[in-house]
Amino acid sequence: MTNFIIKYRWAIISVSVALAVGLGLLIPSSETDPDIRNYIPRNLPSRVTNDSIEKEFGVQDMIIVLFTDSTILKSDDLRQVKEVDRAMSRMEGIGMVNSLYTARKIEGNDGMMVVDPLIDRIPETAGEMEALRQDILANRFARDIVVSSDMTAAAITGTITSSVPEYETLTRIDSVITAQQGDAQILTGGLPYIRQFITGDVNHDAMILIPIALLIMLTVLKLSLGNWRSVLIPFTVVILSTVITLGMIPLLGWKFSIIMCLAPIILISVANNYGIYLVSRYQELSRTDLPVTGKEMVRSITGSLNMPILFSGLTTIAGLLGLLTHSIIPARQVGILAAAGVSLALAMSLMLIPALIYIQHTPGRKPRPPESDKKDLISRALAGISSVVIRRPGRVLLVSLGLTLLLGIGMVFLKIDTNQENFFPHKHPVRRASEIINSKFGGSQTISVMISGDIKDPVLMQKIDDLTQHLKGSEGVGGVFSISDVVREMSKALYEPAEEGYDMIPPTSAAIAQMFELYNMSGNPDDFKQLMNFENTKAHLLVRLSRPDNKIVRDLRDDIKSFTADFPAAVTTGGYAIIMIDFAQKIINGQVSSLAFALIIVLILLSVIFRSVKGGLTGLIPLAASIIIQFGVMGITGVAIDAATALLSSIMIGVGVDFTIQFLWRYKRELSKGATHHEAVTTTYRTTGRSIVINGLSVMAGFSATLFSGFLSIRFFGYLTLLAIGSCLIYAIVVMPAFMLWFKPTFIETKLKRINKNKGKNEKDVMPITSDIGAVTAGLTGAAVRSRAADGQKS
Amino acid sequence: MSGNIQSTVTLTITEKNGSLRTRKLNMITKSYDDGTIKRMVKFLDPADVRGTAMLIVDNKDAQDDIWIYLPALKKTRRIVSTEKGKSFMSSEFSNADMSSGSNADFKIRHLPESGKNDVWVIENVPVSEEKADEYGFSRKITFLDKSSLKTKKIDFYNFDDELFKTIEILATQPLEGKEGYVMTDMLASNYFNGRSSRVKFDQVNTSASIPDNTFIADNLSR
Repeated sequence: MTNFIIKYRWAIISVSVALAVGLGLLIPSSETDPDIRNYIPRNLPSRVTNDSIEKEFGVQDMIIVLFTDSTILKSDDLRQVKEVDRAMSRMEGIGMVNSLYTARKIEGNDGMMVVDPLIDRIPETAGEMEALRQDILANRFARDIVVSSDMTAAAITGTITSSVPEYETLTRIDSVITAQQGDAQILTGGLPYIRQFITGDVNHDAMILIPIALLIMLTVLKLSLGNWRSVLIPFTVVILSTVITLGMIPLLGWKFSIIMCLAPIILISVANNYGIYLVSRYQELSRTDLPVTGKEMVRSITGSLNMPILFSGLTTIAGLLGLLTHSIIPARQVGILAAAGVSLALAMSLMLIPALIYIQHTPGRKPRPPESDKKDLISRALAGISSVVIRRPGRVLLVSLGLTLLLGIGMVFLKIDTNQENFFPHKHPVRRASEIINSKFGGSQTISVMISGDIKDPVLMQKIDDLTQHLKGSEGVGGVFSISDVVREMSKALYEPAEEGYDMIPPTSAAIAQMFELYNMSGNPDDFKQLMNFENTKAHLLVRLSRPDNKIVRDLRDDIKSFTADFPAAVTTGGYAIIMIDFAQKIINGQVSSLAFALIIVLILLSVIFRSVKGGLTGLIPLAASIIIQFGVMGITGVAIDAATALLSSIMIGVGVDFTIQFLWRYKRELSKGATHHEAVTTTYRTTGRSIVINGLSVMAGFSATLFSGFLSIRFFGYLTLLAIGSCLIYAIVVMPAFMLWFKPTFIETKLKRINKNKGKNEKDVMPITSDIGAVTAGLTGAAVRSRAADGQKS
Repeated sequence: MSGNIQSTVTLTITEKNGSLRTRKLNMITKSYDDGTIKRMVKFLDPADVRGTAMLIVDNKDAQDDIWIYLPALKKTRRIVSTEKGKSFMSSEFSNADMSSGSNADFKIRHLPESGKNDVWVIENVPVSEEKADEYGFSRKITFLDKSSLKTKKIDFYNFDDELFKTIEILATQPLEGKEGYVMTDMLASNYFNGRSSRVKFDQVNTSASIPDNTFIADNLSR
């Protein structure tokens, strides 16, 4: 391996750089996909159903422009609404516009049916304004649809058409709104706007988070390795592997999504670790008085570190590949990208870094030692922990078990959240607009019910009306739009209030057909477009949700199914909200499968490393406890499982398992040298313990970049990563030693006998060199470099 | 459309996906000197709307008056509507397309290419924003045959000044005993929604004497 690296060093460097440049050139062509619907596969039943409804009735995503004031019934505010309405009605990218100025009143008056605009000119006197207020309150197509009942808000809604790119339409609306001057405050909302904000924030995240993570890592490397020459070697691997991974996104035809930004962050946090081990080892060896050649140096470094780095990398990759079992598409993509990136970083660390070390190595030159040689805070803290653990392992176990179970109780409050609005902080314009839409206008998220049959059949129309009225009274429903409402409204215009037939579904098919014809002749036929198809064979109920919680939507879906069981027509239920509950189920399934996958793979790897299934199971304890703590804290604090936080467990398993492996290996090695359990624990704390803490802190530092995300969900992911990796770390350095001292597991003892038996023959083969990671990373801040060099020589 | 006309009309609406909807009607139209146009329409087909009747009084400078009779409900109702730009019987033709329109509502001029290739090219621009909203377009361009003065086609532009609709005149018939002609076959194509509508007049009688009392609401149910 050493010969190969030295012989082909320039080829290794050239290939690495060429790959990075080649794929890096693709990065500017990356696109963003802000639509959460695309997170779940196209062949899922809810998506298939929804696509069939949208094919018939168009995309139901609404743009909503809100005007709020103490009262909206002021000439100035009404003028503002009119101007925006006029501009939107004329815009090419907008289909149907619904506003105070498009709403009609259908009235029966002295034998006349009057179909007139709700407002034809802006009222000037107080009396006219009051008349308008009464008209709005009496109009079922206006009240709480275009003007709120309390008259403090007006809404203009418009459906999006595909004739113009969505962002162009939104930009045009924004410029119309910006030109408005008046008392009313104008907010925009609805899914197209949510998508626009997501696109902006995803781009912001990519532009901000990656540089911040790189800066943090540069600082960590500088603190760890001291001089810039040493820093640049592992940092080169971080940069190259990150650029290549980012370039893979457009190469694979994928798009940036909210959670896709996590792939480079994971990579930046993890990729430097291997390089740190190698460069630290190089520094350590350079400080000895023996002048060694470049070849000897490379052989010495790779010979002792390749295997443990490989194991460390493999467990991380295994954890990340757990994400492949997710049904959420970007979760799989993050899994593939992060695993590929870590594999690449691993390969570069094993080949490129030795090649770079060989090229820049000057025999006899000693690198400046990093920071200080004084006993640092970490070492002092570990010494304190060590004395407590050794004296009272039982209590440590009991307290940690108690704390874990206590926090674990929070799991019963755990909830799933797939509402895109909640990605944004409370003060974000999207959240403010959504709150007004949900509380005053029936909500922007919808369920669509498509009824396929003879819509002119009065029996079916009556059932549609029954369903409409039933849904209007259901929890979480803000409004229902239905063809039966239009028919009933027309009957009110055709009959006098005292007459039979007033506000009713007509008794014959011909009567309904003639009513439709009447509306076509008097109103705008496009009014029907959303509610009934051209051939009158499909009707569409649009249910607006004031509380789009997953449970409410699930209950509504089940309710609609049972209510329509005896309909003389086929009924399909779709809509964005239904896709989102499917999405929630996929998150749960993905969470369980990715966790199981990662745990099984890590169990196998640990069992191989420790040559014992019990050893494997013991190694899982910190991971299992951290998972319980993570979900427990999420339940207690109300942080929901969503598209981003669902990725956490797999990442934590991949990253957190290293700490336990490192600890147990060193502990085992000390026992094999004949140390007592107490001595072995003490030595492990003094050497590997410190490296584990530094390793853990550096990974946490990398992930802390996510706290600067524009998305609340990604920020929560950041906090939870710190918690999860932190608890893995504490379990590895506090609970695991106590466990070893209290239970004295046989897998360590059994191997101990064999190791002692083999001692002096093939110790290197039997003792994988993971402990060297400890030896090297323990010296990251230089405090114990010299003592450990001596320690290493002894062993 | 102008003059006194009696005819059967076949209105065919073709959706973007090729679905068809056909209505057969009987229509009697009478134009008055003050610019008012009265129209009586009775549905012949399909069966479930047969007998549905409509009386439209297109007042030149005031809102239209519409009466409608629904035989299934045996109800006659007057409909009041102020919107000329709205669809004529759910087709791509607007109510305004079906009437002669008021020249006072438009600024009219010849375009520079007018007169070339034996075609007059005339632009009509609504005189005000309100009129533009009422008609539903920012301008229309009419192409007339220079010698016969017959309209060949009319292009309609939306508020982004994009061509969104064209009405082609496929056939005309001279008015009997008068100057002028009646358009008997028109095709309206909407480029944005992909729909097209064709209105075809058969058995056109332009010489019939139509008594004024044809256009009373009581006749709707007869």
